[in-house]
Amino acid sequence: MAEKEWKGNTFGTAFMHRWLIRALRYSDVRFWYAFAAVFVIPFCMIFAKGARTSWRYFRRRHGFGPLRSLLMTYVNLTLFSQVVIDKFALYAGKRMSIKVVGSDIFRRLASADDGFVILSAHVGCYEMAGYELVSDRKMFNALVYANEKASVMNGRSRLFADNHIRMIPITSDMSHLFRIEEALRGGEIVSIPADRVFGSRRTVGVSLLGAEASLPSGPFSVAAMRGLNVVAVNVMKTSARGYTAYVVPIDYDKTAPRREQVRTLADGYAAELERVLRMYPAQWYNFFDFWHDGAGNR
Amino acid sequence: MEELMEELKREIISVLNLEEMTPADIDDDAPLFGQGLGLDSIDALELIVLMEKKYGIRLASASEGKDIFKSIRTMAEYVSKNRKK
Repeated sequence: MAEKEWKGNTFGTAFMHRWLIRALRYSDVRFWYAFAAVFVIPFCMIFAKGARTSWRYFRRRHGFGPLRSLLMTYVNLTLFSQVVIDKFALYAGKRMSIKVVGSDIFRRLASADDGFVILSAHVGCYEMAGYELVSDRKMFNALVYANEKASVMNGRSRLFADNHIRMIPITSDMSHLFRIEEALRGGEIVSIPADRVFGSRRTVGVSLLGAEASLPSGPFSVAAMRGLNVVAVNVMKTSARGYTAYVVPIDYDKTAPRREQVRTLADGYAAELERVLRMYPAQWYNFFDFWHDGAGNR
Repeated sequence: MEELMEELKREIISVLNLEEMTPADIDDDAPLFGQGLGLDSIDALELIVLMEKKYGIRLASASEGKDIFKSIRTMAEYVSKNRKK
């Protein structure tokens, strides 16, 4: 479980973000990938606490040897830098190709009258889903961290405005709850990160990659309260300009007691997250204490 | 009003899975959030859904919710004035 609450924003200052967006308008992302891989990531490998967290994740969760874990840590940090560069490249007007596995599931839910809940995690680059999983009928409400910098929020707002996407910042006055409730009542889509604890401290224990971890119970409760359908969406980087989105339904008994519903949803979600992490072990971007046994501890 | 407060306590215990509590354990005027009953934001959402499903009341804003969910008594007062079911 995340003992330290995440600050909720993208690394770097607003000036750095603006500068990167401007530079990406006139340059290829691969130049910046190479720049990060050669000049930034080696520095991070030595000094960033997240690198040690990542190394332990590969050692304990995937059972890799010390040297392979070191190599995978480098790959992990490099891919993370590429995902961040890709996000800013989109804000700069570049385009990525996104393949969707399970698009029929999304289309079926999007064409129904009821709203539904999308659960995401900090793997791959979920933000890419906003460019491909678009519904003409339903507004897509994405719960986002209110602390995110203006450069990131402005970029998202500009790009998502035409895609029926509305961002709901998480706030201390609980106004986001009313907006979630209003959206679901109106049959819209609500997307919630399901791997980081924010707002409510209530959690549900799951088994993930062979060890106990805690997921926030809020996202599962929100769906269960109204008996809504739930899908997990993970968007993974597959090439320099390519991503694959996996849309997978998470089933639960809508007549069961609430606690059981939350448990079933959390277990189902953890199983899907594990399946994706087995396929893409290097695209796990929770660089903090995630498992109870300390793998991923700083 | 007393009957409605009792009913609200039973509903809250049921939807929030407060199995170890009885209506008698919940003070009419104690704060529901923070120090009182210790509810949090997810519980607030449960209460919003409860208000709609059970009493046909749709709350419009967080500031409105804050005043209504202060205590069982404030909830009951609001429900008795605004219920549609």
